[in-house]
Amino acid sequence: MRRSELRRQLRIRARDIIVKRERRFAVNVDEKSLKRVIRRLMRMDNYTHLSTITALEVGSEIEVIYHFAFTDAMVSVKIRISKDDLLLPSIVDLIPGAALYEREIHDLFGVEFEGNPDLSPLLLPDDWPEGVYPLRKWWSAERINAKLGGKR
Amino acid sequence: MTFEIPFGPQHPALEEPINFMFKIEEERVIDVKTRLGYVHRGIEKIAESRNYQQLVYLSERICGICSFAHTLCYSQTVEELLGLEVPERAKFIRTILAEMERIQNHYLWLGLTAKEMGFETLFMYAWRDRETIIEMLDMISGKRVNYGVNTIGGVRRDIAESTIERIEKSLEYLEKRAEHYTRVCTKDPSILKRTVGVGILRPREARALCAVGPTARASGIARDVRADEPYAAYGEIPFKVVTYRGCDVASRMYVRIDEIKESIRIIRYALKKMPEGPIRVKVPTRVPEGEAVSRVEAPRGENLHFLKSNGSDKPERWKIRAPTLANLLSLCRMLIGVNLADVPVVIAGIDPCIACAERVALIDAKTKRREIWDGKDLWRYANEWYRRKYGF
Repeated sequence: MRRSELRRQLRIRARDIIVKRERRFAVNVDEKSLKRVIRRLMRMDNYTHLSTITALEVGSEIEVIYHFAFTDAMVSVKIRISKDDLLLPSIVDLIPGAALYEREIHDLFGVEFEGNPDLSPLLLPDDWPEGVYPLRKWWSAERINAKLGGKR
Repeated sequence: MTFEIPFGPQHPALEEPINFMFKIEEERVIDVKTRLGYVHRGIEKIAESRNYQQLVYLSERICGICSFAHTLCYSQTVEELLGLEVPERAKFIRTILAEMERIQNHYLWLGLTAKEMGFETLFMYAWRDRETIIEMLDMISGKRVNYGVNTIGGVRRDIAESTIERIEKSLEYLEKRAEHYTRVCTKDPSILKRTVGVGILRPREARALCAVGPTARASGIARDVRADEPYAAYGEIPFKVVTYRGCDVASRMYVRIDEIKESIRIIRYALKKMPEGPIRVKVPTRVPEGEAVSRVEAPRGENLHFLKSNGSDKPERWKIRAPTLANLLSLCRMLIGVNLADVPVVIAGIDPCIACAERVALIDAKTKRREIWDGKDLWRYANEWYRRKYGF
């Protein structure tokens, strides 16, 4: 896969495409273009599947990374959303296989996915207190323990 | 009449704690929902307070069976961030051990699946043969599981000239056995009855649900990280990606048996072509800022690690996606429409790695009466059902 090809197919600004190394590309998108870019990615040659979705904390924002696998590259589609408004469109209608990855991020980071039919807890217990997102940096192990009343 | 049956988190048909909520009509499963998290250990959270060297050991303990695939995947991400090139010999040793692990895992799987079918002789034979490869792994690494061979910048154990002969002898034996299992699994009527046409996953569904590994390959999709994105020494070794088009449990079985044979060929080739030289390079403890994604074809399918570093000796974020999570939705799809008696063998079909269910509760939807079955009951039920139906 080449950068020029990616740019032509996705029809996005050149500065939003970053070549990390051979076979590794990153594409920055916003909420409006997310699904459009993913739909175009899926139509490209050599597309195989969505490997997973990663979420991580960057200051006051949450970055969500969609890892797309191609037979000749990996493309990371990156989107940043503010912690005050954690809402993203779900891609389950495009890729049904994304359902569990979105549920996992919903559990651990508190991102809402609009359109995902089932966002019930996947990994956390049913009686998990609301607003505790274990993979966010503020929730250290001590704070989580204190919140749970010392229980494990 | 519709029943709702919780299956797990304790159950013998899968050695991992996961809960399936089945909705069944008479004998057929019409809907299924999963629930995970019974052994969520928070490894990704722990990782943020450990340094990169400690994480090699932690990644080894993500999974007991494909521990090598996880350490390999983790080491590759750190090596990429450090900009390191691993010595050629280390790459070959990594390839050899990864393939030995695959053989070990596939024999284990074959045994467990045979047990789910009530074919305990095959279970015993498969596990006896698995012992051969475990002994070889023990000889190289000093351990039967969690080999502790991988490290950032190479491997910690060399394969000595004197051991190669023994490895080759055991490979010869394993190849003969694999041929034997191909014969057994394609001819034996009770195996065919229990696996052919059971747990169907069509290629279109496998693509949409992002299935990986043998699960995808048994639906005719040639998806293999070793071929798509060669890591370690796979770029220099010729091998073929095994696919079958049956889309059922039988195909999943044939894919794995053929992969055993293919792995044996890869190991033989790698042992012959292995170059001389150092097996590891020195690495700094601090890792420069950056992000890396690495994929490895674990025995169960694609394994992905994502690592973001912040310039210190501890990672900012380490994300692990093991193959079973990717195959869970496919498994739910396969389960819809199967007989209750086939549930254990279909679940075993994807080689799940979550953890052990000990009892099943049956609830009558009308009377809300609850019957607790333990694993043995379901297992007995399944085998009785087949005995009645086919007179085995």
